[in-house]
Amino acid sequence: MRLEQDNAAQCARMAKIRLTEEETAVFQREMQELFGWVKQLAEVDVSSVEETAVSRAAYLRPDEPVCDQALSSELVNAFNGRENSCAKVKKVL
Amino acid sequence: MRTVFEIAQAVQTGKLTARQAVAESLGKIKELNPQINAFVETWPEEALRRADEIDARRARGEKLGPLAGVPVGIKDNILYKGHKASCCSKMLENYVAPYSATVVEKLLAADAVIVGRTNMDEFAMGSSNQTSVYGPVHNPVDFGRVPGGSSGGSAAAVAAGMVPAALGTDTGGSVRQPAAFCGVVGVKPGYGRISRYGVVAFSSSADQVGVLAADVKSAALMLETLCGRDENDSTSLEDKVPSFSQNFTPSLAGLRVGMPKGFLDDLGEEVKEKILAAADKLKDLGAQIVEVEVPHAKYSAPCYYIITSAEASSNLARFDGIRYGYADPAAQNLNDQYELDRAPFGFEVKKRIIIGSTALKAENYAECYLQAVKVRELIKRDFAKAFEKADVILTPTSPTTAFRLGEHKDNPLAVYLADLYTCQGNIGGLAGISVPCGNDGLGLPVGLQFYGPILQEEKILNAAYHFEKAL
Repeated sequence: MRLEQDNAAQCARMAKIRLTEEETAVFQREMQELFGWVKQLAEVDVSSVEETAVSRAAYLRPDEPVCDQALSSELVNAFNGRENSCAKVKKVL
Repeated sequence: MRTVFEIAQAVQTGKLTARQAVAESLGKIKELNPQINAFVETWPEEALRRADEIDARRARGEKLGPLAGVPVGIKDNILYKGHKASCCSKMLENYVAPYSATVVEKLLAADAVIVGRTNMDEFAMGSSNQTSVYGPVHNPVDFGRVPGGSSGGSAAAVAAGMVPAALGTDTGGSVRQPAAFCGVVGVKPGYGRISRYGVVAFSSSADQVGVLAADVKSAALMLETLCGRDENDSTSLEDKVPSFSQNFTPSLAGLRVGMPKGFLDDLGEEVKEKILAAADKLKDLGAQIVEVEVPHAKYSAPCYYIITSAEASSNLARFDGIRYGYADPAAQNLNDQYELDRAPFGFEVKKRIIIGSTALKAENYAECYLQAVKVRELIKRDFAKAFEKADVILTPTSPTTAFRLGEHKDNPLAVYLADLYTCQGNIGGLAGISVPCGNDGLGLPVGLQFYGPILQEEKILNAAYHFEKAL
């Protein structure tokens, strides 16, 4: 399995997670073990399974926008930064 | 402590006040929580105020709900408007829920009293309740051992008699496995039975709210209150919810109990003995034991870790310091913003996000994530076929009893394997219940698990009810 060739530090960077050197070393070992264990999935013959199977639980409803002013204010209040009725975030781009 | 049923009946008939029931629960929490750490926060004034309102309504002659005056704990990943919900993570330590989860609304509508939020593995990722930012939970049976996880606080709270019932969530066994470790009942209905609205998502295709209670009948009453279609959760099912707690059959005569071939092969002697003794007991009760085959079930655990980690990496992307979570003022650019803002996640959560992202990477997607999704379908087919021969399926809940705090610290794979028997239920979308079936040589509880097909929770509750009575 290709997965086993992945390197912990590179994977963490890709996932935008910063690990310490110590954490990276621990994770490298654990990741190898985990991917070695997961490798057993490759031995299963899955040729009888369609690529997409939709479960009966996937109900759809009309896509109608709703506006709940009270909830909107609650949500804005949950932000660290606020200005009037808007959430304020730092410009990083 | 009285059971859910006893409290509700006593409050409804005036033999007990809701205030007495809630005060008793709060007293127990105050006395035992310093050792057990099951609750991370309680709301005593509010709970007593609410109990008084219930008592006042009864005094006015109003009919009370089915959970009248029952003190309940809720896992810290379930939103209760105006109260903190932190997922036991530093990331959400000051997050206050702006609305209530549907399960909370249902509890309140049934006149239950929510007394506090219970400890859990951070973001529900763990099987031992050792990854919480509030510290580990201690198993009430032996303080030096884990309570299981991730709903370890809820299970320990019930086992210690702090509350007669608590809500948990179950993504790979997080209700049933701690129930087994603490010696209480834990039930997870089939996927879609209970709304997930207002429950912090870990793995959306596997997450399901469940109940921990001291006895099966109480768990059934709680479950029937929580189940049902919710417009706010498109995966919730429309099907009618039976009165689980009123529908127990007079006996188990004719019930076909399936035992999967090979399931007990690698099990330790003590747990194995208990399971075999339980099968004999079921036979004595009139059930028929049949052998069933679920050949792909052995792949459930690796399948579970790939799928749930992939979904977690997507679900937890919302903790970006903008929509939710911590925003580091030192961030100078977008990359910094993402990396620094995620620093408050614990190591286990970080690992699962990385594993999930790696499994979804274009080069790995087909042979890793897609393969796991296809194997999942084969596991579902196996169970569907097995349920043609059996009404319920019997397994151990966990391969071992509660392990020591700190044990397996350097071997996460060993902890992941603690979910071996339970994660099959989430991968297959099945209904599952863990019920105590005795103790090992150290006095630690052993859990027995019944699986039933989706929408047939009645069957597993019935089997567990009769087994519990006969034990």
